[in-house]
Parts: sequence; structure tokens; C-alpha cells
Amino acid sequence: MLISCPHCGPRDLAEFSYQGDATRTRPDPASTDTQAWHDYVYARPNPAGPHREFWQHAGGCRAHLLVVRDTLTHEIHSTALARPSRAGGETA
Amino acid sequence: MSPRRSASGGSIDRLRTIRFTFDGEAYAGHAGDTLASALLANGVRLVGRSFKYHRPRGVFTAGIDEPNALVTILRDNVREPNIPATRIEIYDGLRAESQNRFPSLAFDLGAVNRLGGRMLGAGFYYKTFMGPAVGPLRSTRFWMFCERFIRRAAGLGRADHAPDPSRYERMNAFCDVLVVGGGISGLMAAEAAARAGKRVILAEQEPETGGFALWSGETIAGKPAADWARTMTEKLAALDNVRILPRTTVWGHYDGNTLAALERIGDHLPKTPKGHPRHRHWTIRAGAVVLATGALERPIAFPGNDRPGVMLAGAVRRYAGEFGVLCGDRTVFFTNNDSAYQAASALKRAGGHVAAIVDVRRTISEAAAALAAEAGVVPLTGQAIVETRGGRQVTGIVVQPFDAATGALSGDARPVECDCLAVSGGFQPVIHLASQAGAKAEWDETMQAFLPPAPGQHWRGAGSFLGDMTTAGALETGRDAGLWASGKKPSRAKLPETGAPPIDIAPAPVFEIRGKGKAFVDLQHDVTADDVRLAHREGFVSVEHLKRYTTLGMATDQGKTSNVPGLAIMAEARGISIPEAGTTRFRPPYAPVSIGALAAERYGDLKPDRLTPMHDWHVEHGARMMEAGLWHRPMIYGAPGETVEQAYIREAGAVRRSVGIVDVSTLGKIAVKGPDAAEFLDRVYTNMFSTLPVGRARYGLMLREDGIAFDDGTTWRLGENDFLMTTTTANAGPVMQHLEYVLDVVWPDLRVHLTSVTDQWASAAIAGPDARKVLEKCVAGTMVDNEALPFMGIVRGTVEGAPVMICRLSFSGELAYEVYCGAGHGLHIWEALMDAGEPFGITPYGMEALGTLRIEKGHVTGAEIDGRTTARDLYLDWMLSKKKPFIGSGLMDRPGLIDRNRIRLVGVISLDGQPLGGGAHIVEGGSLDDLGQSIGHITAFCYSPALAKYIGLALVKGGKARHGTRAFVSDPLRKRFGPVELVSHHFFDPDGRRMHG
Amino acid sequence: MVERATPLGADFKPGSYGDFADGIGITLSAPPSGTIVEATAWPGRERALAARVGKVVGLSLEAGAGAGAFKETGAAAFNIGPGRFLVSGRNEVLADRLIGAVPEETGTLTDLSHGRTRLRVEGARAEWVLAKLFALDFSSAAFPVTEGRATAHHDYFVQIQRTGDQRFELYVFRSFARAFVSVLRRAAEDVGYRIE
Repeated sequence: MLISCPHCGPRDLAEFSYQGDATRTRPDPASTDTQAWHDYVYARPNPAGPHREFWQHAGGCRAHLLVVRDTLTHEIHSTALARPSRAGGETA
Repeated sequence: MSPRRSASGGSIDRLRTIRFTFDGEAYAGHAGDTLASALLANGVRLVGRSFKYHRPRGVFTAGIDEPNALVTILRDNVREPNIPATRIEIYDGLRAESQNRFPSLAFDLGAVNRLGGRMLGAGFYYKTFMGPAVGPLRSTRFWMFCERFIRRAAGLGRADHAPDPSRYERMNAFCDVLVVGGGISGLMAAEAAARAGKRVILAEQEPETGGFALWSGETIAGKPAADWARTMTEKLAALDNVRILPRTTVWGHYDGNTLAALERIGDHLPKTPKGHPRHRHWTIRAGAVVLATGALERPIAFPGNDRPGVMLAGAVRRYAGEFGVLCGDRTVFFTNNDSAYQAASALKRAGGHVAAIVDVRRTISEAAAALAAEAGVVPLTGQAIVETRGGRQVTGIVVQPFDAATGALSGDARPVECDCLAVSGGFQPVIHLASQAGAKAEWDETMQAFLPPAPGQHWRGAGSFLGDMTTAGALETGRDAGLWASGKKPSRAKLPETGAPPIDIAPAPVFEIRGKGKAFVDLQHDVTADDVRLAHREGFVSVEHLKRYTTLGMATDQGKTSNVPGLAIMAEARGISIPEAGTTRFRPPYAPVSIGALAAERYGDLKPDRLTPMHDWHVEHGARMMEAGLWHRPMIYGAPGETVEQAYIREAGAVRRSVGIVDVSTLGKIAVKGPDAAEFLDRVYTNMFSTLPVGRARYGLMLREDGIAFDDGTTWRLGENDFLMTTTTANAGPVMQHLEYVLDVVWPDLRVHLTSVTDQWASAAIAGPDARKVLEKCVAGTMVDNEALPFMGIVRGTVEGAPVMICRLSFSGELAYEVYCGAGHGLHIWEALMDAGEPFGITPYGMEALGTLRIEKGHVTGAEIDGRTTARDLYLDWMLSKKKPFIGSGLMDRPGLIDRNRIRLVGVISLDGQPLGGGAHIVEGGSLDDLGQSIGHITAFCYSPALAKYIGLALVKGGKARHGTRAFVSDPLRKRFGPVELVSHHFFDPDGRRMHG
Repeated sequence: MVERATPLGADFKPGSYGDFADGIGITLSAPPSGTIVEATAWPGRERALAARVGKVVGLSLEAGAGAGAFKETGAAAFNIGPGRFLVSGRNEVLADRLIGAVPEETGTLTDLSHGRTRLRVEGARAEWVLAKLFALDFSSAAFPVTEGRATAHHDYFVQIQRTGDQRFELYVFRSFARAFVSVLRRAAEDVGYRIE
């Protein structure tokens, strides 16, 4: 499988590390809402189909990517740099 | 010249004789022979015994689909079992052995299994070895008990225990167009793509490209097809943008047009050249793929269809055409389609004798009749073979009138003498790679085969893969696929002329002749047509269940000749059509792959050796090295005659008494820089770093988001916006990744840069009452007294001309310093410190002494920060800042995490003077025989020279509340049970006077 | 100046190795590391950083992904990640000059002169040997001269700059360098190699 790193171009899966669900929103750091923290850390939808997730190009430029991947077909719909200030728009 | 070798023709070199042995017997063949062709040329029929019944078996095919002729190759003192003889190119000195026979192939004791044939039918293992519901042999235990006997009786070749001395490697390749299969269509596709300027890889599993052209005997462009193929190959090989990989089987088709292939480089050579691999595993990332993988002939199941001498008709043709080998003196063909007539005529042309052609069809085409006439026989139409005769090889067959529509036999059976029976039951395109890419095959009623579906986005098929078995079709579809792969439109240019009779290879839908005796479907796993029906009767009707229950198609050939017939028989039993019965989805690998090639350079301990700058010094000075993750670290520096325990006690004692030195270069080090660096550290550490003055270090603790302790270490403030973070050796990578994640994803606004500088710095810790004196002797450019360098202070200076950075911090509890320098100066500084320490008896110490010193002080490491413990469990509550949120603060106060009865850190003292054991349980009572309830476990232990006792750290329920109480250490595995006292983990100098002194 | 020790050990000694009967496929050498610095720009400051760094080492450096430049005299720089460059030069004191040349609002620099080991792979079979280790397309079209790539071979992180049609400079973590060289040497045995 190849993942298209927005910075480095298509690279082998072996260069990437899965870094978790990208649909979560971290609560305010000072929040004491345990339920919100619980949902952030533990609650996962596990969809069958397109899924937004983070991958790090750990064996390359080290950037984290926002990847939309189909969990049924492994097809990667899009990749973008996770850090918005660096993002150059999503690539198909 | 052997009697079975034709005088001329074929691709073999009759002038070159090659000598080899089979079962110790010497034989000769020619260059270009496979082991199978050479054995057949020598008249060897019996080459193996079958899997379950030990029935005699011979060569059945001429290629990768061979189910029977599996042999063991003996090479370089290694046995490699289960290699099809059809895939072995002979070389001088080749040694091959037959398999699954004892004591010899001709006289096989295991053949008594044949008498119990009924007993060993489908599901035999499941039914017989489920075992009783209770008792010592209940359920699978009975199977395990019986298995060792069964394994000896049933099976394939015996693998070896000796290490494989061959080398293997992996290769990455990129190309615009990958053509899988170098037959006629593959060559055409490669040429079209190459002409379009594409980077092309052409992979061919056989030693030579050309495929069917090499033995068809047809003509292309007015010359023999084999010559045409060779000319094409030479043309392609001369191009810079084409790489031809012979002996390369593409076995996997993965996401993103990534394909896996195995290139066999050394197997056909008497000796693999120096430095070259035996096999090379290719990972090919292709822009477009052309699947020109051909088609495989399939047999018909009929009683006695496994007797040596029964072969596929196409194989008989190939042996004659490519190897000049006549498989029999009197050959009978048995078919449900026209292709066998071509084979018969080709055999006749090559000098063979065709005894009969038996065809299940009542009428045949004119072309077929003409070919039969060429072969010199009148076909026996509307007939079927109901029996084969002979012992270790076929001597005759019995023919009976047959109705192809009903499958009914009628009328008189009559024998026909023969010594070779060539069978054709139709063709199945090799759709494995298309199926692996996710495509679902479609049943074609005309071809009676699963054809590839509409092509995928990134691949096209060509040649007989598409179900068109003609040379003209291969030329055209090959070129079209090559043009498609190059992004070009189909061409109208004239294709080379071909000379081949216009025959129809669409078969009659006959897969089995039902008669008396075993009719084999899967020859390699000894699965019969009756086994398939038995599975049906017992309810295993889905294809997947059929496979598992009968093991049909699950042998090393993965059912290349048996899948479709097996499916057809099941469909008939169920009274449904073949497509309704379904097909299995193919999974990689298409053909067996050597494990060595997959492992390639990753052999031995699989891990790179990570070495500190002082590594060679340690080894030269007697260090016994141990692995810590990828790192190699000194465990002890053993003096002659010393035990490990004596060594670490001596080393730790020296630190407490005078001074010791330890290599701590392995600690993870991360440069944290930028205007928001301090703020960032406040968020990722539980304690405050923004208040840390420049030139000072602070001990920090990180939690995970779930509130569990993650890592600890000191972080040094080198400048206002410049920090040097240290992590534990083991967690350097995970901490870096964690920090990168939060910067990229959680707080992208923070202006902080991280760089791994673990390898930039060498560091040595010197510890002990004389540590300062050592520094005073060798450090220039800075004072190192208490005022200039207080506890947790940092100074810069030089040692013997090399710049150093010194931080006063202590893991041992002694007055201690960590001296950092550029890694390239590490050895220089280490030796300077050793010289300066010499008057004080400076002692290098290893991980054991380091561990002893920290246990005495009760400092935690990864053994206690084990991914389950909280800061409170480790009595590090004081590090949890209340002034700011930090990672983990949101969840760390959950009731389950603050329960005082959690397992928490305590010290343990052995009361019986015996060592404790890592991982041993702490129990409140009981004995070795009557294990009490565990209340915790030992995380680390040592002999403490300071306390003169065996001590340890433990995580025990309630922690501190148990101080002063007694319990027992229980370690049944190591037969250790004894009394202990639970105490504070601060065993030694709890006030820290020594390190602050 | 105290001379820096090489991490490569005693086995890395000049000579010809592997199957060199038909010629030497690659030459392997470890030029002195001199200065190696990682320079990282704040978002939006990539060009400014590239320009400043380039000025100090005398290169015209672009800021784009994989972009690089080098001089035969030793200075080299290439992009290894978003806003991130690996800059190297022969002179050991270059690190301080580089760090002094980049203001804090442009980016940060970190000295890695000791922490990375430079290896040079040169020769007709360089692409072949490197392709065994890295899933990168090493063809000149896909990986032109001057460009850089950050990649990995199992546990080895490696940054590679192409400095010639048949020449690559590899930067590996120092503690891995000796093990990596043994992997590289093994991969080069079939083509024959020389250590210089």
C-alpha cells in the first residue's frame, strides 16, 4: 500500500505510523468534564467505510497527515498535512 | 540418447549432458531440462507417494501447477522439501529425493494406508480426533496425542532443522508498466509499452520467456513460434527502459498497484555466485499492470486417474515440444475439448505413437477430426475412461460408452493398452492476481471456466488469461493491453501472421466420470470426488467449508488443477450451477515463496545494533554487554573469576565509597526550541518548566491522556527558548512521536521545534563522594564547586580540549554529575575522566550496578512506569501541578485511578537472605504448593551492598499502608517462596544528604 | 580542536569486497561530517530561512519539498520535511555561524554535527544497491540530482541527497551508523564494492 504524503509524495506504508482517529476534538485543557475526556480518549466510532485518521510519516518527513481511508477497501480518498498552518489543501 | 528423447527439436541442448541423482540413482539429462523432463526422458515414472494413501504418483504437469511430483532437494547440507520437479532446472550435481515413502519409493510401508482408504476420507481428522469430552485426553489434547503418529504417516517432505546458509534479499522497483507473464501476449504488451517509452518490467516465472510459443510448434510471422519469441525477447532485452526478470513469479497483487515477486537466482546453478542471493524478493510499484498470466489445463476426475503415466495433455505436448521428451510409447488421449487433438498431433510429429483419442463428446469439429487423422487415429467419441490398469505405472485403460449430457455409462467396457494417458478437461485462466486485486471472477458457460471480470482501474488482462487460447488472440490482446498501459489507443497495425488450426477449445461440461474406485480431484491432498460428496452429505456445502473439511485446494499447489473440478462436483451434488456454488477468492501467494526471501536481510536477531560512542572501550575493558531496546549497554565489567553478582556489588560499592562512571549516552535526548518551548513543556509535563531558570535542570514526569504515567526524565534549560529534554532510553522514540503528535495535531499554534539529538551527545555519569574531585582535576573553563554547580545546575567548560556541558544530577543518590559532549568526542572525554579518576579508584559500572543504586534509592524506571501505574501509585503526587492543566490531568483523578488500594510502590526486604526474583508475586500467606492470593509483584531486585541484604521494589496493594508488615515472595516457576518485609522504597539515605552534599 | 572519532569501527577499512571480479559496482566512503545542522523554519518563513542558510554556506537553496543544492567543495543543503532542511559543510565551525545567522523569528537550528554520520555511495550500481534498502524510486527522473529525501529502512532513519547521476550522500544517526554500514555492505556484495 502506498500513502501519498503531501510533502514527500507517494511512499510505502512501512514509512508511516498510524496515529489514531482524527474525528475527535480534545476538550478544553482545563476542562474537568470527565465524560468529555473519556469520549476523547476512548470513544471510537469504528465505521465501515471512509474514516478520518491521523498517520505520521515517521520514516520520512515526520509530519502528521490527515488521511481519509476507506476501512473496507483500504482506498485512500485524500491526504493532507494535519497541521493546518502548513496545509496546502487536500490532495486527491 | 535415451529411448524417450526425440532425435531433434525442443529447446534443450543435446550436446550438453548434465548429471544428477534421484533417490541416489545417477541419471543424465540435457541443459534446458527440468528435473521432471529429465526423469521422464529416463523413463522414470514413479516419483513420489501421495499425501494420505501413499499411492504411487508420477509427473502430472509440466509447470507450476504440478500436484504430484514433489521432491526434496539436498543442497549445501540443507534439505528443501516439496519442490515440484517441473520447476527444477537440472544442474551438474543436483541431488533430489522422493518424499513420503519408507523405506523406499518402490516399496513403501505406508502404502497400507490405502487399505484403510475409507477411514482416511474427508473430515477424518475432525471426526476421529475430537477426543472425549472429559479426561486427560479431552478435546484437542487427544488430537495432539495422535498427531505425532499421523504426521509420520501422512504428509509431504521433511523440512530441515539446519540453518539455511543461502542468502536472500529484497529489492524495491518502480515502473510505469509491469507485465506479468512473458508468453506471447506478455511479450507483445511489453513491446508496445516499451515503444511508447514507458519503463517496463516483464516478469516470467519460467527460465525463458515465450510461454506457449516455446513448445506450440506453431508459426508466428512465418517462422517457428519459439524463434519469434526469442527474437522478441532479444529486442526487448536490448532496450534501456525494459527489465526482463526470468525465473520470477509474481505472487501477490496488493493495494496501490504494489506487487510482490520472487526471483529465483541461484536455484538452477550448481553454486550461487559469491555475494549473490539465492532468491530475491521484489516489491514492484507499477503505474499499470498487464496480467498475461496464461491459463492452466485441468484434469477430469475418473477412477484411477492418479496412476503414474496419467498426465495432462498439454503437459505431454510441452514435454515433446520443449524438451523433446516422449512421455510414453503408446499414448492415449482423453478429453472433453479439441485441445487434446492438437496435443496428439504434436506428439505424433515429435515421433510419438498415439494409441487412441477418447472423447466424451459424441461429435467433434472438422479441425479436430483432421488433427486426429494427423495423429493417426480415429477418435473414440462418446466414450469415457472408467478405469486405469497397472501398478506403479499405467499399463492400460478401460473405455466405456458415455453420455456427456447425463453422465451415464452404458454398454460394454473394453480395455486399451497404453503406457501414458494424456487428459484434458478444459482450461482455467490464471486469474489469481486479478482476484487478489479485489476482482470477482465470472463463470463462463462456453469456456466452462471462471474468467477474469472487467479489468480494474490499474490493470488489464491479455492472452489466454482472457480465455482466448489462440496465438492470434494472444498477439492482439497483448499489444492492446500494452498500449492501454501506456495510455495509448488500440492499434490497427497488422499483427504477425500465425499458422494454427482453427480449433475450438470450449469443453463439454464434464468434470468427472463416476465409476468404481477412487477418482481424485486434488491429487496433492488426496481428495477424491467421493470426499467432496461426503462433505456435501455432512453439510459442508459452502466452498469455504468444503475446502476446510476436505482440505481440497489447500496443499502447496493451492488447487491449481483441482479447484474448479472440486467446485463442479459440489455444484452437481447440490443440484445447482457452478457459479451458484461460488468460487473462492484467491489470496497471496500465487505460488510458494521462500520464507528466507521474505525475511531477506532481517535474519538473526532482527535488530540493528545501536552503539554508544564508548562501545568499543567497554568491550575492550571486559564489559559483558546486554541489549536495552536496540542499544548495547554494559551489564557489568567483569573482573576475572567474578560472577555477575560479585561484579555489580563491587561496582555499586565503589560508587558509594569513592567514585564510579557509567555510560548514559543511550538516554533519549530531544532539543525543544522556540518561543513557546516553556509553555509547551508546561503542557506535556505534569510539573512546571516555565519557572525553571536558564542553566538549571528539573526532573519531569509525563502522563498519557488517560492519566497513566508515561515517561520521566530531566529537562535542562540551556537558553530562554532552548531546552534539552532527556527521556528514558526505552521511551525515546515514543516520547518524540507523542510530542510531535501534540504539536501537529493538538496545539498547532505553538511555535516549538523538536529535533532528536540523542545521537549528538555522548554522556557519562560520574557518581560518588569523590565525583567532584574528579571533575576538578580535568574540567577547564568553569568552576564545579557547590556554588558554581549546585544540585541541578548546569555549566559549560572543556575537558582535554573538547567542549563539555555538565549537569549535576543524581540517579544513584550520590554526589553525581552527567558530563555531556559531542558524540565524536565521547571516547576522548570518557578516557579523560578515567584518567582524572584514577587516583580515586574510579570504577566503570554497568546496568546491574546502576539498577542496584537506583533500587537502593527507590527511583522508578520503566519497570515501575509500566503503562499501568499512575503518578500516585509511584508516590510522585508531588509532581502533579495544581496550577495548570497538563496532558493527563483531565482523566488522572478518575475514582479507579486514585483508589488507595491500587498496587503502589513499596520496598521489599528479603528476610531469608535469599534473592528475590523479578516478576515474582507478593502473597500474604500460603506456600509453594498452596499459592496464596497475589497482592502485587516485584518489579526490580538486587543485592544491596549498602544494606547488605537482598532488596527489591514492588507494586503492592495499598502501598505505603503496608510498610512494616510482612508478606511472602512467591515464584512457583523458579521454586522460590520466602518471607519478606514491606518497607519504604527509599532504602538508602532517604533525606538525600549525600547527593546534595 | 579535538578530532572526532568515527563510529564506523575497525571493520570499515579500505579495500575491495564482494563479487568484484567483473568490476566495482559502488564505492563506499565516509567523508568527515564537518558541520551538519538541522534548520527549521516557522510556517511562512521557509523561504527566508532557506535564503539565510543558503547565504552562509554559499548555496542558492529553494524551500520546496525535497529541494536541495550542493557544491563540490562540500557545502550541501536539502529539504527533509515541511520547512525543515539538513545543511552541511566541511568546516566544523560552520555550525555556530549558521546558528548566528538565523533570527529567532525565522526559525531554529540544531547542531547535529556529531549526531549524524555522512556516508557516500557512488558508482554505476548505486541505484541498484540503495533500492534494496529503500522503497524509493532512485531513477534520475524521479530523484534528480540536488534533491533530497527523508526515508527509512526498518529502524534506520536515513536522509539522502543525490549529488550526482551515480552519487548519493546518506545521513544516518550516529549510533546506527556501524550497523547500517554492515547492511549497506551486505547489499552491495553482489555488485562488488570498494571502501575508500
